[in-house]
Amino acid sequence: MKRLYLTILYVYLMRLFLKLIVGIRYHNKEALKKNKQFIVVSNHNSHLDSLALLSALSSSQIANTHPVAAGDYFGQSPMRAYFTRIFTNAILIPRSAIKGGQNPIRMMSSAISKGSSLILFPEGSRGEPEKMQEFKKGVGLLLKMHPEIPFIPVFMKGMGRVLPKGERMFVPFDTYVCFGEPRHCKTNNVDDIVSEIEQSIIELAENSFVKLQN
Amino acid sequence: MNFFNSEKYLANKEVIFIIFLILSILITSTLLFFIWGKLKPNANLVELKMRTKSWWAMACIFILATIIHPIISFMAFGLLSFAAMREIASISKNIRDEDRRVIIWCYIAIPIQYFIAYKGWFNLFMIFIPVIMYIWIPFVLVIRGITSEIGRSMSVLPTQLMLTVFSISHLAYLLSLPELEGFHAGGRGLLLFVVFLTEINDVFQFIWGKLLGRHKIIPKISPNKTWEGFIGGVLTTTVIGFFLRFLTPLNEVEAIGVSFLVACAGFIGDIVVSAVKRDIGLKDTGSLIPGHGGLLDRIDSLSISGPVFFYLVYNLYYTA
Repeated sequence: MKRLYLTILYVYLMRLFLKLIVGIRYHNKEALKKNKQFIVVSNHNSHLDSLALLSALSSSQIANTHPVAAGDYFGQSPMRAYFTRIFTNAILIPRSAIKGGQNPIRMMSSAISKGSSLILFPEGSRGEPEKMQEFKKGVGLLLKMHPEIPFIPVFMKGMGRVLPKGERMFVPFDTYVCFGEPRHCKTNNVDDIVSEIEQSIIELAENSFVKLQN
Repeated sequence: MNFFNSEKYLANKEVIFIIFLILSILITSTLLFFIWGKLKPNANLVELKMRTKSWWAMACIFILATIIHPIISFMAFGLLSFAAMREIASISKNIRDEDRRVIIWCYIAIPIQYFIAYKGWFNLFMIFIPVIMYIWIPFVLVIRGITSEIGRSMSVLPTQLMLTVFSISHLAYLLSLPELEGFHAGGRGLLLFVVFLTEINDVFQFIWGKLLGRHKIIPKISPNKTWEGFIGGVLTTTVIGFFLRFLTPLNEVEAIGVSFLVACAGFIGDIVVSAVKRDIGLKDTGSLIPGHGGLLDRIDSLSISGPVFFYLVYNLYYTA
């Protein structure tokens, strides 16, 4: 049931909307199909980001892939939390430690142990358009616990113009989503893992920029 | 609206003939480029292959519109204008971040312009973008109240609307022209004539340039354009236009003159968009990242040759 409506919602409706109206272009989308389980790591400029990544998935993956969203933002009211979970299949985690609250890393880790894939935005919040903030450590901790899971770096451009932080009006602009090849972390050190991921996304950004210039 | 009035359209021998002609050209050229690419893997056929691909799309839409309902053409041209406007707004460095909400007005203008074209309200069609939007967009910009470099946005946004919406909508308006006595191909014939001629002009300028090109015509904008290619392309197009004049109400002399002007206008559109892209730093991106300047490349020559052809024919035959 969940798989059915998520497939209709994202693989058909949302993808059509994004392609026709927003003008989204996926680059090297095949990278998603190479592994059964993965962690997508992307830069973050807009609410559209997770919708764009969900729409890139195939119908067999969609029910089993969870974007990780900020519980303190999307979970402000029980109603909002419910709709976020239902319509985006998200896992809501607390961004800062709350006394007696659940450990966010453990929540993500248990989802992976159950065989799920995750979509992560290690910047933590949307930030300014076309600027990347420093990555949070959580993704490093997570990949240290699960070294067998590959991560897929993703660079998105233009989302911050379509629907930036603090704007309610959405304006179509050409955007593109560039997928890197899935890879495993080389080290076992949390800081190194984080900087490796950060570097892979910057590399994607630079490569696509070079292609743009020539 | 009566959908599926295919009998009326299929009875139109000129249009049927040209559809078969286009399909056979498409199949031949697709095969040719495929074999050429296999024999000479180094040959740079990306541009030609992209063109054939967009020809296929255009042909499919045209055939659908012919056998189902002309409104499909209006929607297809409207989407084309929308995608082109979105593309030029996305890559232009002359638009400020604060102009986001004003760009919405440019998008809103597109369905209005095509609705006017569909209804055939000629006077409104002529003034909607050049006059009404030309007043409205600066007004909305002023209301937003951010004055630094506002003059640039005031001039760039209406120009982009002209290039991508106003000009392309003339192609759609051809379908709303009234029936002429003794001329059966109608708006569909005119549309076919100008699109076919413009595209074939691009192709022949390319081919003549490859075969004979020596003297560069405008090396700072388009290093591949040569005098030989330009003259060869224009002459070939004029000859083809002369033989395709059964799609239009034009007589022999008019057909030669109009085809010649359409070919020249296509060249102008080509280099104007090239210059715009060069200014942005996007020249020759090709298809590495599809969508960055790719669509503008497809419609560049049509956006100038379309209005030129429209007003020539309109003033020759449709002003009673």
